[in-house]
Amino acid sequence: MKSTPAALRRFARSRFTDATKPRGLLIAFEGPDGSGKTTQRKLFKTWLESEGYDVVTTKWNSSDLIKPLIKSRKAVRALSAEEFSLLHGADFRHRVEQVILPALWAGKVVVADRFLFTGLARDVARGLDLDWVLKLYQPLLWPDMVFYFSVTPLTSRKRVTATRVPSFYESGQDVTQVDDPVESYQRFIARVIREYESLALIFNMITVDAEQSIGEQHHLIRRLFLEGRQRPWSDWNAEAVAEWLANSPGSGR
Amino acid sequence: MTKTARRTPRATLTAVDGVDAAAVLAGARRALGALPRGGISAWDASGVFQELAVAGDSAGAPSARTLLLLYAADLAFRLRWQIRPALAEGRSVVAAPYVETAVAFGRAAGLEPAWLANLFRFALRPNTRQFVHAPRTRALAVKDGFVGFSCGCISIDGGKNARRRLVERTAAELRRRDR
Repeated sequence: MKSTPAALRRFARSRFTDATKPRGLLIAFEGPDGSGKTTQRKLFKTWLESEGYDVVTTKWNSSDLIKPLIKSRKAVRALSAEEFSLLHGADFRHRVEQVILPALWAGKVVVADRFLFTGLARDVARGLDLDWVLKLYQPLLWPDMVFYFSVTPLTSRKRVTATRVPSFYESGQDVTQVDDPVESYQRFIARVIREYESLALIFNMITVDAEQSIGEQHHLIRRLFLEGRQRPWSDWNAEAVAEWLANSPGSGR
Repeated sequence: MTKTARRTPRATLTAVDGVDAAAVLAGARRALGALPRGGISAWDASGVFQELAVAGDSAGAPSARTLLLLYAADLAFRLRWQIRPALAEGRSVVAAPYVETAVAFGRAAGLEPAWLANLFRFALRPNTRQFVHAPRTRALAVKDGFVGFSCGCISIDGGKNARRRLVERTAAELRRRDR
């Protein structure tokens, strides 16, 4: 079937706003390292499944196609800020097309452990222009909910370094030029958190106080999910879905 | 004694673009011949696409947008390690291909001009642009270089014919941009 972009956008809209079919939901967990979001993501997934939802998880920098490219370049510390940003953008786009959109189209709940906001916060903390980075991620796919796990730089540093030494890029040594990874991490994560806090405001994320107990956070997330799952589909997403439909053989058209 | 100012030839960046990788390289060599000191910066200096080529089918075929993000990552690498250092040392560079090939491919695949312009915002503006236009039959047979590689592995609805049309549209877009 040959369709125009406008027809594909209409088709996408009709699929995601059809009240007779279960609509896929995209829930993103965001926050700095050591904020406990992975723990919460796992608890949330288990609970969703116990409630009968079909759940798909996707993690940052995890596509089978791009992840090996990034890993090999990180190992030899060969990435500039632009290359770091562009390769992570490619990984994200590939996962959107291969994992996230197919699952949403099939009516599943996608739980994303980090989303494009991770790219924005880290890249801007590396000195790149927010506008340039944000446009790399277009056409944008907005999650139905974004939980932002808020911690102080000190908490992040304490939790991360309690069990390991942060890696070269994780500690931002490529931009801080500080030899000690822990000291570099403390400086870099403060910049990342500053960017996250701004993004949380701009993009209306749900801020979770990640200094609370694990149980308190989990019950808050459950409650907010139940309250928010009936939100209308964001029409901003029509562009991303239409592009995926146009390029994907067997996408269900 | 009179002093005479000694003029150093200015280092320049020449972009050579086209769908046919072999013809682009030949064009780059011709362009280089006219320059006093210089070298060629070619596609995939970073090895990103070489590594992509060995990924298994289960990894999923990339879209035009994903391929262009990777092209931009490779170009950032070329700028950092080849183009900028050479220019800083007073040597000229022929970048083959450069930005126009990627933009033409993106336009042929239906991507927005604004997104493409933003993607390559970091690239240096070349002093000279050259286009190498391949005959239609030659362009359709292209297997290597960015366009040949991308059209061979891209996720696209319509199979082989859609891939041929993409090469044709890329070549047509490059001719349009050359006007």
